[in-house]
Amino acid sequence: MALLDIDKLSAFYGKAQALQDVSLSIAEGDIVALIGTNGAGKSTLLDSIMGQVTVSGDIRLKGESLVGKPTSKIVAAGVGYAPERANLFAHMSVRNNLLVGAYTARDNIADNLSRVENLFPVLAERAGQETSTQSGGERQMVSIGRALMTNPSILLVDEPTIGLAPKVFNDIAEALRRLNAETGLTILITEQNVNFALTLARHIHVMETGRIRVSGTADELREDAALAEAYFGH
Amino acid sequence: MTQILIQGFLLSGLYALIAVGFTLIFSVGRVLNLAYGAYLVIGGYAYFWLSQTLGMPKIVGVLLAIVLGAVIGISKYRLIVKPLKGDHVAVEISTLILAVVVQAGIVLLFGDASKILHPIVSGVSRVGGATVTYNILTAAVVSWVILIGLYLFVRFTHLGRALEAVSMDVKGAAISGVDPDQMNQLTWAISGALGALAGVFFASYTQLYPGMWVTPLIIAVAVVIVGGIGSILGTLLVAHIIGFMEVISTSLIAAELRGVFTMLLIIVVLIIRPKGLFGRAEL
Ligand SMILES: Nc1ncnc2c1ncn2[C@@H]1O[C@H](COP(=O)(O)OP(=O)(O)OP(=O)(O)O)[C@@H](O)[C@H]1O
Ligand SMILES: [Mg+2]
Repeated sequence: MALLDIDKLSAFYGKAQALQDVSLSIAEGDIVALIGTNGAGKSTLLDSIMGQVTVSGDIRLKGESLVGKPTSKIVAAGVGYAPERANLFAHMSVRNNLLVGAYTARDNIADNLSRVENLFPVLAERAGQETSTQSGGERQMVSIGRALMTNPSILLVDEPTIGLAPKVFNDIAEALRRLNAETGLTILITEQNVNFALTLARHIHVMETGRIRVSGTADELREDAALAEAYFGH
Repeated sequence: MTQILIQGFLLSGLYALIAVGFTLIFSVGRVLNLAYGAYLVIGGYAYFWLSQTLGMPKIVGVLLAIVLGAVIGISKYRLIVKPLKGDHVAVEISTLILAVVVQAGIVLLFGDASKILHPIVSGVSRVGGATVTYNILTAAVVSWVILIGLYLFVRFTHLGRALEAVSMDVKGAAISGVDPDQMNQLTWAISGALGALAGVFFASYTQLYPGMWVTPLIIAVAVVIVGGIGSILGTLLVAHIIGFMEVISTSLIAAELRGVFTMLLIIVVLIIRPKGLFGRAEL
């Protein structure tokens, strides 16, 4: 059984439909990338998993349906989320941002905190800094760190590297890779940067206007020149 | 001089207590609860009825008034604020109407005439030429204890941090496992409880009358606008500015000026700092 199963998912903003019959499943320990251009529905899909959008169809984590549950319950069930705009608590310190993430996972706060600070040492150095004064890269680290503090069995990261300088970009990519390799954490990211997705993820789904057009392993998609041409433009 | 200092501190303590419940709702729920003054009326009358009409012990009267305030706060959230989700103007209009309805209900139940509350803690002391009633001293001390307690609660507990998180970013809080709905409800309960308690003290400091919700509401709005905007320490600070301004103006200029400077201050701040209301609004 897959860790996360998405079954004929449609999502709606009022009457506008942003996702149409999206189905995919993610195996435990995998790294999966959703790629697609602006407006393809990537963030909508992640928000739908988190119970932030009205949907039809089903989403199951370890066989248990998440649809209709409040977001807080979905987090407690094991989904960690670093959203597109980070949604950090701007006037709280880095440390307190991370601690809010521990709201439903209070049993091993110390372990989770040291795991996060080990992954992103800058968060330990800057523990007392307000996140409103941080750089984009640091805020992305706080955002991923906060999601890890919820003790997730799957981590969703929306465009982890968007707008970041190459050095920070690599730090974050490396951190995600390490998380997956060392702790076996299942990761679902969205990306517009196809090359990055191909180097990080093992499975890839290409989204276009609310639908999944193509799915495959990174190796398959890398070799399929026609696909690359059609969907990535190079 | 000592008189002004002491009265200033005591009155400011009471004002901080009045304002904090209002600023809490504003920062967590982004709602200007214009019916906030009604908690004070309800708290004051509940205390009056329980302890002076029914003859219950004062402390029981205070505690039951607090519980009633919390229950009314929760009911208001569930019956009005939540169904009107996000429509701030509708919430503000309906809460203002509610305050007027409460006033009418109080007139119906208790009559129009104002009532004198016996002091909750009786006794007077003279400190350096200043008269200090134990009643307002208690109000000030209770207010400081509550504000400090609230501050520690927000800084150092999971629940308090969760409240602060909701005040800063609702989606961020939700994806951290915090249920914003639950936090809002908790805030409305705390706000109602604090409002009712403030009402008991305020009524025993002034008088108990059905229109008693207006003055405290002005004080609370002033605190939000002048910059406390939901920060607990800011509330304490601005309450002192307003409290001292009032003591100074009423004792040095004319007693009739009570409240006037507070209202002028609101207008001045709105003009020179038009984004005051929508500035930073966290706990
Ligand atoms: N809150 C909203 N209300 C209405 N429509 C929305 C909302 N959020 C997204 N949409 C619409 O849903 C569609 C999918 O948007 P979404 O943000 O999921 O795309 P995306 O793939 O994440 O794009 P990007 O790469 O720009 O982040 C778009 O047409 C968008 O306009
Ligand atoms: Mg997006």
